[in-house]
Amino acid sequence: MKNILVWTFLGIFGLIVVLPLVFMATASLMSATDIMQMPYKWIPIPPYPANFVRAIAGNDGSFMYLRNILNSLIVSFSIVFTTVILSAMVGYGLAKFKFKGRNVVFMIIMATMMIPFETIMIPLYLVVLNLGFQDSYRGLIIPFMMNAFGVFLMRQYLITFPDEMLDAARIDGTGEIGIFRRIVFPNCGPAIASLAIMTFRQQWDNLLWPLLVTQRETMKTIPAYIVKFAAEKHADEGAMMAVAVIASLPVFVLFFALSNYFVGGSAVYSAGKE
Amino acid sequence: MKQAKSIGYEAQKARWGWFFVAPALIFFSIFSFYPILNALWTSLFDKKLLSLKPPAFIGLGNYIRVLGGPEFWNSVVATGIFTLGAFIPLVGLSLFLAVLISSRSRFQRGLQLLFYSPAVLSSVVAALIWMLMFDPRGLANQGLNALLNQPGVDRRWLSDVSMVRISTIIVYVWKYIGYFTILYITGISKIPRSVIEAAKIDGATDLNQFRYIVFPLLKPTTVLVSIMVMIQCLKTFSTQYLFTQSGAPTGPIDVITLNIYNTAMRDLNIGRASVMSVILFLIMLLLTGLQLRFSKSEDVTF
Repeated sequence: MKNILVWTFLGIFGLIVVLPLVFMATASLMSATDIMQMPYKWIPIPPYPANFVRAIAGNDGSFMYLRNILNSLIVSFSIVFTTVILSAMVGYGLAKFKFKGRNVVFMIIMATMMIPFETIMIPLYLVVLNLGFQDSYRGLIIPFMMNAFGVFLMRQYLITFPDEMLDAARIDGTGEIGIFRRIVFPNCGPAIASLAIMTFRQQWDNLLWPLLVTQRETMKTIPAYIVKFAAEKHADEGAMMAVAVIASLPVFVLFFALSNYFVGGSAVYSAGKE
Repeated sequence: MKQAKSIGYEAQKARWGWFFVAPALIFFSIFSFYPILNALWTSLFDKKLLSLKPPAFIGLGNYIRVLGGPEFWNSVVATGIFTLGAFIPLVGLSLFLAVLISSRSRFQRGLQLLFYSPAVLSSVVAALIWMLMFDPRGLANQGLNALLNQPGVDRRWLSDVSMVRISTIIVYVWKYIGYFTILYITGISKIPRSVIEAAKIDGATDLNQFRYIVFPLLKPTTVLVSIMVMIQCLKTFSTQYLFTQSGAPTGPIDVITLNIYNTAMRDLNIGRASVMSVILFLIMLLLTGLQLRFSKSEDVTF
């Protein structure tokens, strides 16, 4: 009896949680008139693929979405790339080298976690203006090239890295940079994967910074495009959902392929960050 | 001889240490510490974006203008209502769901994935889906009217002052409920089964097990989740931005981040945007400080 009650509740609640996702998927294959029919049909038969054509071509036929998807990919992957390498480097320096002031350096880096992006976005924008990076990939990428949480994650991971391996390489005459590149970095797999996925998701979702720093349509990223597309006068509901489906595909592919990094033990890792 | 060599080796290693951490020091100086100091400094000037005039020093003038005007306080109210409105269901429901899911012997992982799935979406996409469902002819009206058996009523989800606040809260709770549920499930999984078994043998009911054992032992998780929810809610932007751009009234959902953005980018008033940034920073500093303190003490020993 109790079991049935709990399962019924979980079932109903789970359905409520999933329905909006089902709505997105089905509405992306329906014409606007069908979407606004009461009651909602739920089954897109016959499917209406014209939404996807309109989503990609845009209301004005400029195909700007493709360009903005490309921008999102370029920006997200660049930031993942730099974050992983720089975090591993700094984490390695903090974990495996003893030097005066090391703890102070660590504290300073951790202190930046106390400065949320939202509170410094305006002065950060001024910095980017002064550097002449506005409206460019540099402006989108450079201020996010690394983050304190990444450093923290890599340091924790590398603290247990066996010193014998490093010393053996030194005795063999490998240079310090070579040790990092050929021995340390390739052995950080799990930590790097966690960090990479987390960073990618954050950047894929980033709306505020691209809004501030980009002016030209050709420099916008997906979230900014979505807002603009939805606010346009003749925006079409079906096309909006098609835009949403396309924007969500990469993260959902990641989610299904690597769900452990989303809900497994590593979800706790990212707890400090999100 | 040997001694001298080993000192040289240590010094050399220290130098390499600095080499590896140098990128972080340079990066964070330019992109974290300088901006926050700059915000403090700029908040004392009458600075306009794109203006050629050098900004004039006006001391606390911006603070007086911001704290004396209605817009800032409107944002405080909007952010407060949003935070409180999202806080209660997020903390309460996620705990409830976590307890139920943890009690299942089958499909635990599937349920976790199910409830987590909205968190995978971008914030803008989540808001966009709900914007269509909040349409007068949309699913929100249909569902609620079917439930209350009041056909044909328009709840004005995106136009009524109170409803648009509720709408933004719904989007947020829907998106993040799974995330916090999983944090709670992790917390629950750390409670040894033996403790609960012992209570069962002593004849404790389910409710009493929860009240006297699970809930007290989960206190560190609850504190952590609570602070994280608050920090998250203070930063909310995407839903409010999308809704207002698509025609919803700004006033009731003019949360602090949206206000900072509009003050800087629409009114071009950098000085006043900086004042609000500084105030937001101080509030967040307090909360993050609490979070760091509690996340350290999160490891309970049994």
